[in-house]
Amino acid sequence: MTSLTLSRAPSRWRSGLRGLLLQRLFQAGLVAWMVGTLTFVLTRTLPGDMAYRIAAGRYGHDMVDSAAAEAVRAELALDQPALGAYLGWLWDLLQLDLGRSLVSGEPVIHELWHQLGHSLGLAVMAVLLSLLIGPPLGLLAGRKPAGLLDRGSELAASVLRALPPFAVGLLLIMLFSVALGWLPAAGHGRFAHSVLPALTLALALAAVSSRVARNAMAEVSQSAYYAFSHTKGLGARLSFLRHGLRNAALPVVAYLGVQFVYLIEGVVVVETLFAWPGIGHALVHAIVARDVPMIQGTALVMGLMFVALNTVVDLICHWLDPRRREA
Amino acid sequence: MSHPLLQATDLTIQGDGVTIAPFSLNLGSGERLTLLGETGSGKSLIAQAIMGTLPRGLTTSGELLIDGTRYAAADVAARRTLWGRRLALLPQEPWHALDPTMRAAAQITESHRHVAGLARADARQATQHDLTELGLEDAGGKLPGELSGGMAQRVAFAAASAGGAPIVIADEPTKGLDAPRRDAVVELLARTPRAGGALLTITHDIDVARRLGGEVVILRQGQVVERGPAQQVLSDPQTEYGRRLLGAEPSRWPAPPPLTSAADATPVVTARGLAKSRGGRLLFQDLDVSVGPGEIVGVVGPSGCGKSTLGDMLLGLASCDAGEIEHAPGHRLGLQKLYQDPPAAFSSHWRLSRLLDDLVRRHDLERSAIAPLMERLGLDGRLLVRRPGEISGGELQRFAILRVLLLKPRLLFADEPTSRLDPITQQQTLSLLVELARERHCGVMLVSHDPALIARVCDRQLALGEATNVNGPAASARPLETASA
Repeated sequence: MTSLTLSRAPSRWRSGLRGLLLQRLFQAGLVAWMVGTLTFVLTRTLPGDMAYRIAAGRYGHDMVDSAAAEAVRAELALDQPALGAYLGWLWDLLQLDLGRSLVSGEPVIHELWHQLGHSLGLAVMAVLLSLLIGPPLGLLAGRKPAGLLDRGSELAASVLRALPPFAVGLLLIMLFSVALGWLPAAGHGRFAHSVLPALTLALALAAVSSRVARNAMAEVSQSAYYAFSHTKGLGARLSFLRHGLRNAALPVVAYLGVQFVYLIEGVVVVETLFAWPGIGHALVHAIVARDVPMIQGTALVMGLMFVALNTVVDLICHWLDPRRREA
Repeated sequence: MSHPLLQATDLTIQGDGVTIAPFSLNLGSGERLTLLGETGSGKSLIAQAIMGTLPRGLTTSGELLIDGTRYAAADVAARRTLWGRRLALLPQEPWHALDPTMRAAAQITESHRHVAGLARADARQATQHDLTELGLEDAGGKLPGELSGGMAQRVAFAAASAGGAPIVIADEPTKGLDAPRRDAVVELLARTPRAGGALLTITHDIDVARRLGGEVVILRQGQVVERGPAQQVLSDPQTEYGRRLLGAEPSRWPAPPPLTSAADATPVVTARGLAKSRGGRLLFQDLDVSVGPGEIVGVVGPSGCGKSTLGDMLLGLASCDAGEIEHAPGHRLGLQKLYQDPPAAFSSHWRLSRLLDDLVRRHDLERSAIAPLMERLGLDGRLLVRRPGEISGGELQRFAILRVLLLKPRLLFADEPTSRLDPITQQQTLSLLVELARERHCGVMLVSHDPALIARVCDRQLALGEATNVNGPAASARPLETASA
């Protein structure tokens, strides 16, 4: 019996996995192409003289004149038809070449590699922090719907989610940096620098996941199988561990995939606010300087990150929920 | 009297508009007691009061003696330690009571391990033994969603009784199961008293009560109406209500009004050579069906044989793989369906008056037709201000019939319309449906898993089942010429 179970378990967990991964891979390709095309079109249609902006990015606003702008225009072939530039970019992308920054002249991939690490560190910390705050609070609230904890956490969650991330960030800076002086207001380098930006992102993530967890737990605790688990003699603790956790975790994890949109959008704002040298910070600078390859590269990496993170969510759901594997 | 296992003395339940009069029972080893009654009779509440699982807002008093220990009925917390060990509860609709994300064997094993306290390997072995004994060898690795109703019932039984509780309480154990599965459940329940335990069954199914035997208590609105040995109470009831309850068994129903329409009337629907497969399995082929105006055609067959699919095809809601379907001329609203679960067929947030208004406005119907129909269906006008969840299942199903009849249907596909209702309500609802269908020349296809009911109500029947055997001896799919039954 034991050997039978052991030999069957891995094949079960793998069934249906191939289709899932292939589908996500296809999506990643589609995202890369669409994000790249869209950013290309958008940067070309922005008002203002592109060559002038790039020249300003290179030499500074005070130093730029129309001669410098013309030089840039000629160098980057900005007066040539857009289609040629687009096809050139696409061909380079197929060879995994993201081009060079128009401002610094460095390969985009080098710049991104450096910044992505900082952003990922921040994002991972934010997600872990939000998982420590949100779901446990939601599970506790869900066990007593309409109780004090439920009402209180609902209010807090609504306020936190309604405030834009820069407002939450500013409030945290005012409290912890200005009033209390515990943490630095901005910068990068020490662990203390990462606490406030991570917390800013985590609070809004936790606000949503605590409510999802609360609803999931309330639904589980009213379900017939949860009642049956009690009446068959498992007791409150075992019922929660064996039948409550897994079933309540499913919606929380699944919703995490949707929340990553917020995370990626929040990273841009929060990094700018806290002067965090990450990919979001880089994107804002690249847009100001019309550094098209940088914009394309950054948006591309963010899009692919979204697909990758959702793939991870899918894998966790796949592992948590045996019903998915039969499909 | 054998060694008493479960004794209740003056058990009462109060609150939320519910009153259960003092109720006493005494169950010894090897004995069976069945509480019989319609919805709202309080039979389930008595089981919940004994278990200690009454919904919030209800209070209980009285005294319980469970396997030699005395408990105040109000002291609910004290009985929690008995769950699974002294008292086992077989839940209603066990396919909902099994954790949908855990495999069947694991749900039995956890009872052996954590309730009976066996070691991991022993618990696995005990589970394997249970599965074999219940004929579920292949089901251990399946998820509850992949089990049939009968299989889920047996898995739940094994999970609930793994702790070795001598007292088993079964709450509506046959709800939602078809006739052959019902017999298997009765057989399953009979194991407990045979092994020296005590069995308390809650049911509205008279046939189940009869097969279980032992003592029977008929309950109505929280009062004991009649009580005694099963053979006596269920063959020769002494009270008027007892006779009415037994009279509601389909085999004792009065015959429906005869079919009066002309023998050569054009059928409302004619289908020839129908075939349908689902999931690679052939449901039926070369199936001929026709329904005349006002005719009641029964559709029987085991779960999953394609009864509902056939209905959807005849109503034009599903496509067929082969064959042709011909409807009598008329508006497409003339093809209607009556659903199994009334609450699921109504939008729960609106008052019934609003729901009817919407229907009348949407289809430009005669508003004046509502009142007389409501009277025919025995529906009080005061019900209109309530929401679907605030009236009984029987009343709501009659509202569903009202809603369908307002559309002047030519063909009505009634998909187990009364399987969730108790016997007396079932009889009332069906006889009204038949009467009105006859009057309005509406052809009805009635699906049921109760053969006695079909035999009683229908002019003829169509048996689906073995794909190759549709037109075999069991299937009285007549030749296409309509003749009055």
